[in-house]
Amino acid sequence: MVVLALALTVALIAPQALADSSSSREYQIKAAFLYNFIKFVDWPEEKMADSNEPIIIGIIGKSPFGNAFEPLKAKKIKGRSVVVKRFKGFEKLKKSSGKNETELGRKIEALRKCHLLFICSSEKKNLKEIINSVKDHSVLTIDGMEGFLEAGGIIKFLVEEKKIHFEINVTASKRAKLKIRSQLLRLAKKVVKEKPSKEAKS
Amino acid sequence: MSKLRTMTIRHKLISIIMLTCIAALLLVGAAFIVWQWTNLRLAMVKSLSIHAEIIAENCKAALAFEDVKDAEETLKALHVEPSIVFACIRSSSGKDFAHYYRYDVDKSIHPPEFQQEGYVFGDGYLTVFKDIVLDGEVIGALCLRSDLYPLYVRLKLSTGIIIAVLLLASLVAYFVSSRLQKVISGPILRLAEGAARIGEGKLNHRVKIRSKDELGHLAQSFNDMAGKLKESYASLEKKVQERTSELSSANEKLEVEIVERKQAEERQAQLLEEIESINQELKDFAYIISHDLKAPLRGIKTLVDWITTDYADKLDEEGGEQMNLLSGRVDRMHNLIDGVLEYSRVGRVKEKMVQINLDELVREIIDSIAPRENIEITVENELPVVVCEQTRIIQVFQNLLSNAVKYMDKPQGQVRIGCVEEDGFWKFSVADNGPGIEEKYFEKIFQMFQTLSPRDEFESTGVGLSMVKKIVELYGGKIWVESEPGKGSTFFFTLSKQEMGVKDAKYEANIVSRR
Repeated sequence: MVVLALALTVALIAPQALADSSSSREYQIKAAFLYNFIKFVDWPEEKMADSNEPIIIGIIGKSPFGNAFEPLKAKKIKGRSVVVKRFKGFEKLKKSSGKNETELGRKIEALRKCHLLFICSSEKKNLKEIINSVKDHSVLTIDGMEGFLEAGGIIKFLVEEKKIHFEINVTASKRAKLKIRSQLLRLAKKVVKEKPSKEAKS
Repeated sequence: MSKLRTMTIRHKLISIIMLTCIAALLLVGAAFIVWQWTNLRLAMVKSLSIHAEIIAENCKAALAFEDVKDAEETLKALHVEPSIVFACIRSSSGKDFAHYYRYDVDKSIHPPEFQQEGYVFGDGYLTVFKDIVLDGEVIGALCLRSDLYPLYVRLKLSTGIIIAVLLLASLVAYFVSSRLQKVISGPILRLAEGAARIGEGKLNHRVKIRSKDELGHLAQSFNDMAGKLKESYASLEKKVQERTSELSSANEKLEVEIVERKQAEERQAQLLEEIESINQELKDFAYIISHDLKAPLRGIKTLVDWITTDYADKLDEEGGEQMNLLSGRVDRMHNLIDGVLEYSRVGRVKEKMVQINLDELVREIIDSIAPRENIEITVENELPVVVCEQTRIIQVFQNLLSNAVKYMDKPQGQVRIGCVEEDGFWKFSVADNGPGIEEKYFEKIFQMFQTLSPRDEFESTGVGLSMVKKIVELYGGKIWVESEPGKGSTFFFTLSKQEMGVKDAKYEANIVSRR
């Protein structure tokens, strides 16, 4: 009986599992979290001027989400649709731009237009550079890497006891003119108020 | 209600005021409790809804980020409201996300079925459901359940207050009403007291009530009535006195009359007694005389016989004639004495009462009389059977019949005996076609020694009819005569059926026939 039930479960789940091969359960939840963060963070007026403009979630680097955003696509948050934009790794961005400064600037501008920016682990090396380029443009930077907050990132995911938690750098969010609601802050595993390192600042 | 009827006015008034007061208070109290109940419920719903609103707001993030710990932390804040028994957050997928139980509640209880937003009273709880909405999206629901303890406490408190107020108000009402009732009951009681006094006969008593309401009027008319009563009473008393004096004088007269009457009665009785004794003496005297006279008479008779026989030859024709005359006179004397004896025996000597068939008896009497050839005696109808002394009834018929025969002056003599039954008695008649009697003698013939014809013409003692009268009257009957001179006369006499009747008309063996 138990065996049969198991077999059935596997049979039913298998195709889904295949389809979601590139998105693990962890990233499905993280995707949902990204959406939920939007609800608890207020962007400054200039970033939300046109109500017809979508809210942009940017993902830079090699995306671990796979198609985790698929079920969320249709959702509207704060009366706006949500668009997920994928950006190539920072390194590649620079390469493809070549020596053309304006091309790079245009690309960075696109990054700066994002409301959320998830920085994938592939961008570890360029982390500070990415943060520095968007830090004053009200972009909620999110990552799961060590030292992310110290580098000036705002929300850091971490997994403990198979549960996803997050930490918030309030100083960074303030500088980015983002208002993070107390409800979210309360949920944070840790709220950091330290200043970003000199290196990151420069 | 019946109890209220037997109360005094004082208590009635107090009771009425108290009852009215209590009824009003009860009504107000009930209305107040109902009002409060509704209000308290609404207040509870409102309070619980506010809690739900706050909790829902506070656990949005926790639900969004699936932070159970934080959600439960939020729910824990509910302990400040001890009436909240249970709280539950359910995610939109239908999973129970976080719970809260009051310290004393069994944690195994099942959370209630989630419903639409709103509230439900049931099973002694108030349950509020609240959707948790994040950015226009329902991400879960919150259920709060509170017991109704505060409701009951408040209700108990207000009930207690109402009862206390009721008691206090009753007390106040009692004091106030027992003071105020005097305004009404006082005059009534005085009136009642006055009425009682007048009822006892103190007609000079007046009720003093100064109030100008209906009671004052009543008292006034009451006093007027008492005055009139006094007047009429006085006149009545006067009349009664007059009547009484009249009555007493009449009474006195009556008493005198009664005394006189008594005296008269006594005298009458005395006289009667005297008459009785005289009568008795007379009877005895008659008997003794007649009895004693017989002996010398017999001696004379014997002497006459002797002289007639012994001196027959010495006596001349005239002498012999005289002797015969003497003998005849002596015989008549003898008969007369016998008659008187017989008469005196009636009523004095009692015979045995026997049943007698008059039909037979009368025939025998006719035979014994042996009438002359030219006289016919007929019995016209059947004669009854009577109970009486035999000798007496024989004497009645014998005397009447022999009289009729004796004085018959017609060549064809007719004597008819008849009997008619009238109510209560028999009327017998003995009719003849003899000489008849003049009306002036109708009474006289029944007196003793009275004969209408000279002695020598008909041998008669003059005792017969008076004896018949005596016998008939002895039996409670009457005797009289109807006659027309020359045509004949009819003697009537009655016998009471009641005294002499035979119960059974069909008499049998004990009929005593003569001889």
